Amino acid sequence: MEFASFVVFVIIACTLSAVLLGISSLLGQKRKIIRENDIYESGVNAVGSASRQYDIKFYLTAILFLLFDVEIVFLLPWVLAYKDSPNHDFMLGGFIFFMAIMLVGYIFIINSKALKWEE
Amino acid sequence: MFEMMIEILIKTVVILGLPLGALPLIIHVERRGAAFMQKRLGPNRVGPFGLFQPLADVAKFMFKEEVHPAHVRPFFYTAAPMIALIVAILPLACIPVAAPFEAFGRTIFPEVFRSDMGIFFAFAASALGSYGILLAGWGSNNKYSMLGALRACAQMVSYELSLSTSVVAMIFVFSTNDIHVMVAAQQGYWFNFIPKWGFFMQPVAAMLFLVGIFAESNRLPFDLAEGESEIVAGYHLEYSSMKFALFFMAEYIHMIALSTLFIIMFFGGYNLLPGLELIADKIPLPIALFQVASLVVKIALMVWFFVWVRWTLPRFRYDKLMDLGWERLLPIGIANLIVTVLFVYFRN
Repeated sequence: MEFASFVVFVIIACTLSAVLLGISSLLGQKRKIIRENDIYESGVNAVGSASRQYDIKFYLTAILFLLFDVEIVFLLPWVLAYKDSPNHDFMLGGFIFFMAIMLVGYIFIINSKALKWEE
Repeated sequence: MFEMMIEILIKTVVILGLPLGALPLIIHVERRGAAFMQKRLGPNRVGPFGLFQPLADVAKFMFKEEVHPAHVRPFFYTAAPMIALIVAILPLACIPVAAPFEAFGRTIFPEVFRSDMGIFFAFAASALGSYGILLAGWGSNNKYSMLGALRACAQMVSYELSLSTSVVAMIFVFSTNDIHVMVAAQQGYWFNFIPKWGFFMQPVAAMLFLVGIFAESNRLPFDLAEGESEIVAGYHLEYSSMKFALFFMAEYIHMIALSTLFIIMFFGGYNLLPGLELIADKIPLPIALFQVASLVVKIALMVWFFVWVRWTLPRFRYDKLMDLGWERLLPIGIANLIVTVLFVYFRN
């Protein structure tokens, strides 16, 4: 039942966006102007291609995001289990150990200037 | 079986229809609000007070020429706006608009699908938002689009961290992942006048979350994805007509979905506005109607707050933005979580 309603919702969302996308290609004005097919770079002729090298910092940000996000997601089951657990001391010990590891990693990242953008 | 299908369809249409129907109004409020703050008139020609301007815009989007440049990667170029919109709609699926109520001899849950992991699902779905943007930038095969998409993505993932830490803190405070339980826990008052809202329990988490939703929905002061002075228009530079409109709609729906989650966690969700329960008792209408009205009022205030901030704060510089996310908000979020855990531990 719940899964069925979710599937219906996704199907309706997909159809909606497909229909919206179809409308303008169906109703839209049709002209053929060659210049429109050019790469838009504020009106001047395009220089080089878009497949060039971009700053490594974007890649680093994504990788570090993955690390920290997984760490935060690991906290979710802990957070939900804390209240019903019989031994709160043990739970707190685990939490502090986990956070200490996370903190060491965080300090290392900040000290190695992996996320500094200037210069 | 037939009844079930009808119920699913009605829920889907209502939950999709509310934000989509409110969209033109929100866009109008945003433009008139901008004009109001800058002592201009704003759109006031089409219909009374210019109210039909968004409809005219929709018509124009439909009849505009759809430019399909030769240099794009066709599949991703076409798929990206669709992905952006679908992903923006998805979190709405598990957001309830009222408390479960009895009707037609059974309990009806006013959300599309009932899950005891509602909050988790909503954030999982809204985190997918960066895919539409990244694919748009890469599919457009344009330097500016690519740069805009990279910047938007790096920004969204960075602020998602501090946002997640505040969500974890809230889940810890309520020790539930179920939206209905979370909202029920925020009923009632302290000292008879302060509502038991999450905001008063976790103000730091609320602030982190608020900054996070501005960054996630790419709104000013965090709209680095569209920094016109450096990268023209960002990831949707090569898009025209309805394809552009889909990105536009996706941004606003994402904003509405995140505001609703903010209200659910920090401002009592569909709980009645303070003082409204006195009136609601006297009027013989179902309580669910008052709950929907309260939620809509709260979301409307939140949207007005977005407009207000947009025309008050200037845009950040990119390196400052990343520093703020990684070196200020993330440590504050983690410290807030640790303090919350220690507080709960030592109180018992």
